[in-house]
Amino acid sequence: MTDNILTLEDVSVRYGKGADALHAISDVSLSLERGGAIGVVGESGSGKSTLALALMDLLGQGAQVSSGRMIFDGMELTDLSSQDRAKLRGKRMGLVFQDPFTALNPALTISRILTEPLMLHRGMGEADAKTAAVGLLDEVGIPDPKRVMGAYPHALSGGMKQRALIAAALAGEPNLLILDEPTTALDVTIEAQILDLLAQLRIERQLSMIFISHNLSVIARVVDEVCVLYASKVVEFGPKQRVFNAPSHPYTKGLLASMVKLDVRHDRLETIPGRLPDLRRAPPGCFFAPRCPFSEAACEKPQPMIPVEPDHQSRCWKAVDLMAVPWHVTDAEPGTVKTPGRTPKSGGDILIARDVEKTFTMTSGLRALKFDTSGGFPIRYAPQRFTAVDKVSLTVGVGETVGLVGESGCGKSTLARCLIRLIEPNGGAIEIDGHDITTKGATDSRVLARTAQIVFQNPDSSLNPRKTVRQILSRPLRLYGDQSGAALEKEVEGLLDMVRLSSRYLDRYPHEMSGGEKQRIGIARALATKPNFLICDEAVSALDVSVQASVLNLLTDLRDELGLAYLFITHDLSVVRHIADRIAVMYRGGIVEIGPSDHLRTGPHHPYTEALLSAATTLESDNDTTRVRLAGSVNTSGARITGCRFADRCPRKIGAICDDQVPEWKETADGVRFSCHHTLEELSRPVEQR
Amino acid sequence: MLGYILQRLVYLVGVVLAVSLLIFFITQIMPGNVAYLILGDFAPLDQVQALEESLGFNDPWYLQYWNWISGVMRLDFGDSLIMGRPIGPMLLDAVRNSAILAVVSIFVVALFGIWLGVFSAIRHGRASDHTVSILTYIVLAVPEFFWCIILIMVFAGTLNWFPATGYATLDNGVVEWAKHLVLPVIALVLGLTAHVSRLTRSSMLETIHSPYVFAARARGVPEKKVIREHALPNALLPTVTVLAIDIGVLMGGIVVVETIFSYPGLGRFLIFGIQQMDIPLIQACMMVVTVVYALSNLLADLIYMLLNPRIRYGQSVDG
Amino acid sequence: MVDTMTVEEAAPRSRRAPWSATLTWGTIGLIVVIVIALIGMVWTPHPYDGMQIMKRFEPPSATHWFGTDEFGRDVLSRVMRGAHLSLFMGACATAVSLAIGVPLGLIAGYFRGLREEVIMRGVDVMISIPPIMLGLLLLAVTTPTVLKTAVAVGLIYVPIMVRLTRSVTLELSAQEFIEAARARGERSWYILFVEILPNAWPPIIVEAALRVTFAILLGAALSFLGLGVQPPASDWGLMIAEGRPFLNQAPWIVIGPGIVLVVTVIMINLFGDGLRERLDPRMRRSPS
Repeated sequence: MTDNILTLEDVSVRYGKGADALHAISDVSLSLERGGAIGVVGESGSGKSTLALALMDLLGQGAQVSSGRMIFDGMELTDLSSQDRAKLRGKRMGLVFQDPFTALNPALTISRILTEPLMLHRGMGEADAKTAAVGLLDEVGIPDPKRVMGAYPHALSGGMKQRALIAAALAGEPNLLILDEPTTALDVTIEAQILDLLAQLRIERQLSMIFISHNLSVIARVVDEVCVLYASKVVEFGPKQRVFNAPSHPYTKGLLASMVKLDVRHDRLETIPGRLPDLRRAPPGCFFAPRCPFSEAACEKPQPMIPVEPDHQSRCWKAVDLMAVPWHVTDAEPGTVKTPGRTPKSGGDILIARDVEKTFTMTSGLRALKFDTSGGFPIRYAPQRFTAVDKVSLTVGVGETVGLVGESGCGKSTLARCLIRLIEPNGGAIEIDGHDITTKGATDSRVLARTAQIVFQNPDSSLNPRKTVRQILSRPLRLYGDQSGAALEKEVEGLLDMVRLSSRYLDRYPHEMSGGEKQRIGIARALATKPNFLICDEAVSALDVSVQASVLNLLTDLRDELGLAYLFITHDLSVVRHIADRIAVMYRGGIVEIGPSDHLRTGPHHPYTEALLSAATTLESDNDTTRVRLAGSVNTSGARITGCRFADRCPRKIGAICDDQVPEWKETADGVRFSCHHTLEELSRPVEQR
Repeated sequence: MLGYILQRLVYLVGVVLAVSLLIFFITQIMPGNVAYLILGDFAPLDQVQALEESLGFNDPWYLQYWNWISGVMRLDFGDSLIMGRPIGPMLLDAVRNSAILAVVSIFVVALFGIWLGVFSAIRHGRASDHTVSILTYIVLAVPEFFWCIILIMVFAGTLNWFPATGYATLDNGVVEWAKHLVLPVIALVLGLTAHVSRLTRSSMLETIHSPYVFAARARGVPEKKVIREHALPNALLPTVTVLAIDIGVLMGGIVVVETIFSYPGLGRFLIFGIQQMDIPLIQACMMVVTVVYALSNLLADLIYMLLNPRIRYGQSVDG
Repeated sequence: MVDTMTVEEAAPRSRRAPWSATLTWGTIGLIVVIVIALIGMVWTPHPYDGMQIMKRFEPPSATHWFGTDEFGRDVLSRVMRGAHLSLFMGACATAVSLAIGVPLGLIAGYFRGLREEVIMRGVDVMISIPPIMLGLLLLAVTTPTVLKTAVAVGLIYVPIMVRLTRSVTLELSAQEFIEAARARGERSWYILFVEILPNAWPPIIVEAALRVTFAILLGAALSFLGLGVQPPASDWGLMIAEGRPFLNQAPWIVIGPGIVLVVTVIMINLFGDGLRERLDPRMRRSPS
């Protein structure tokens, strides 16, 4: 007889009224054991956040729990008044949600934010609360907690902010902690720290957890059971290992199949075709049927959850049989219109960048004057400068894909923009297809536009909202092609075909398209000038997993068809390994390692790459004894770097030599190059745990 | 922080100087020969020319400007052309009178406007919120001079509660002094209060729906506390800065209100100067207005800096 | 095998804001006011300058809806006759502020650097003088006419337009489709007028609609102080000024134009608000 702290039975939440009403979650049932942890997985539009809000009674106006029961620790939540529900918040149930950057009140100190729930829920006086708050900060791994108490949120890094938020959520000593995408806005290495922290807190405090995320591998780190949401319904629920290793519902299978995995070599990624249904016009039967390769007529009947194994259920009448069937769906074959790629001028490298440098001046003029009583004249002129790109050299061969990996603030986006002259670098030489683009006036921007183009990250801001697809694609064709009228229209359709979209899209506006479709238009636009070199700046990072897979397939197809060279920028190691021939790792403005992507998984590596690899989440539960964790976060003060740029956080730091001397470049037998003071032998050995 | 303050100060001086140049140039091209105004239309030419010479109208512009601005910096505003007396002392009285109006008005606007804004934000969507919205809407559509007229008609005319014009010094007793202030102050504050209240309301609403307020609720902080301690401090920040800018709007209103109520302040002086083409008087009044406005903007910046931790403490990055 | 292309759904429903009640009433009110003003230019119930000393100070009645003034003139006719002046003041001033302010704001927001510094410092200087005073200053040095007053008011509101346009331009310039345009070598003027401006119009138009009311009120105030429309022509501000001495005996001379002024402003405000709701419900107000 299990002791459940939370049971949901057929819970539905309705938004809106009348014809426009929709159910953000419908018929959701799950049960959480005391001390257990459930991961709720869903892509955008699945309703996962609504679940969190419904539990906390924080649904906005116009939304309400329309049916079902929620039983928390023996209490029927739906029977309680809103005052009683409010009493549970913070004291019995805590919530940590996505964006730590906006979730802390900028006008309040950390001390104030933490002491408030302590005094409220645990009846402490102010002095006791302050002491307890320091203890909480320490518990969540914040160094120098006394100093942080007096700080304001803006002074804390992203990881620190999230830790503080977790501390505040735990202040009332809740039994249940709900986390809604808590690490999505954080860098990979910071994410790893936070996940470790959560796993630890769960054990130490015997917390029950609900962990909501779109990222299956992140969830795998922390939870025991997984619940998969699709378009407002639970489609599968069971122990983590079983759901991941033997998924029974087609959607789960598709989701798992379309994930780019670090350890598996992919040729082409599996995808999930089609799109989310319109919940306002919900079909009576299975919501996933239109996209499901296994669908049949019987799928049009309402589907209940059926047991597949002990404790493992699925909302598909074919689930038991499907457990053994793999998901195999690829996109349509490459487009029929073959536009020959433009032959590059030089035979060798399409991009040669040497010692590129970019420094931003943050304050200047009068603002840069500071009080400094440490000796000499008390007023100093100290303009703040930030070196985003610190003498970076890079080459990309014709038809080659080079991946550029790094966390936020490392300078990869700035470097990308310097390479196609969207930003003027302060120093260095850049040659694209033999054209010198750093000397003023040496190369016309039109010549550059024909050779190199860029695909951006954010589908919502990369297209002009007031232009139709036809207008967006005709413009570059008109500028750089020699066709007009009907011939031009044909070329536009040709571009659409290249990105696997039908001519139905010609008259659509950006707001009428999904994220994946918008990215495809962005790619089509970039290809319109017939470049040889394409910079993809986090081009798939803002997309759902299943959509990401199909866009990645598109990019690899195009590369093969057109002979394009790519500089593929991302923070995701699995994606970069899949698509790139060589991988460059960037940290704090410089490249610390570069080498063939085949050897990403085999060592030795630069200590930072090692940490990234260790932090990269995989579906297997992490009993990894070689886990490497970085302390703190990236130093963004812009101070001059002497010595190794990774010295302040390196788990393998030798000593003062790392701070003072710039390390030499070393090369392994596999052709991986990096700069470090250690010998290759030392790096092959696992790092000592501290 | 030091850099910030210094920058604002240098800035303030620069703007005041630039405006002084602007004022100077505009008034220098005024039509109407001042000399004739003083001596009469039929004065002989040589007398006119002599007067112009003595008034310095024949000097090059930069010399005239320098004479004037260096005087201003010593608080010597020259003599009124029409009244033949030094402007300084008269200006001092006028400024003091206007200052009373302005200070009282700003207090009323701040207190009442903010309270009204918070009140309607908390009751968002309810009848009281709608009522306040409609009232402020209508109030904002009425020009200040019309408010003055209505107030005079109702309170001074029909009801005869308050005097319609003039100013009573404190020697006549506080009550009499206050009675003369009531109507002008009401006329001045109506529009501004409506504006501040709307601004505060929308700022509050935005804050109430912000993620950090949501986070506070999720931690179980009771609603009243959330509004008072989490939302309000952030919501008031834009209001405070706007209040300082509204001092400028207030001064504009003072011109109209003082004229209608015959209140002996800076605004009435200015109108008088314009009607009489008394250039030094105009220049003096405008300079005072400019400096006051620039100082109030500086004050707004300083208050903003004090209240905004990001600027006060700068960016300190810890690990 | 499931083909990506055949499973496309129809384009999702457009999410335009619905036509709201505010916009309806505002538009109706605005049209009514404009029609009355146009009519007033050619016809009024009674001759607007017909002085009938016998009928002075008559209170509002069936023949004279707003009564008669100190010269026996029908107040309603004078109000109708003056309507186009007040409206013209508002429209012309706003047009001036747009014509000067929007290009300056675009340049400041897109090019940044020295151009931005110069423009914004100029804006700061102009904003340092309270609006009415700046108007007084500008108009005191010349013989006022309706056109000059309108232009002066327009100049007074240029800084606000510049700030708003610059703020919108800054936000748009940070969008990636602008970078995409630069990446294909577009010229600056193309980016400004074809990529940025069409996206910048909604908040600018809304602000302009609301500025018209400010311009009308400021123009009326200037006329009231004698620096706007000159007699014998009369806009609403001047009418109120002229009627002031007779406040006790014949308040309708002042109330008539006053009420019409207020109602007109409210109508235009409703229109502006309705426009804002329609164009973008999530738009922020101008930072002034």
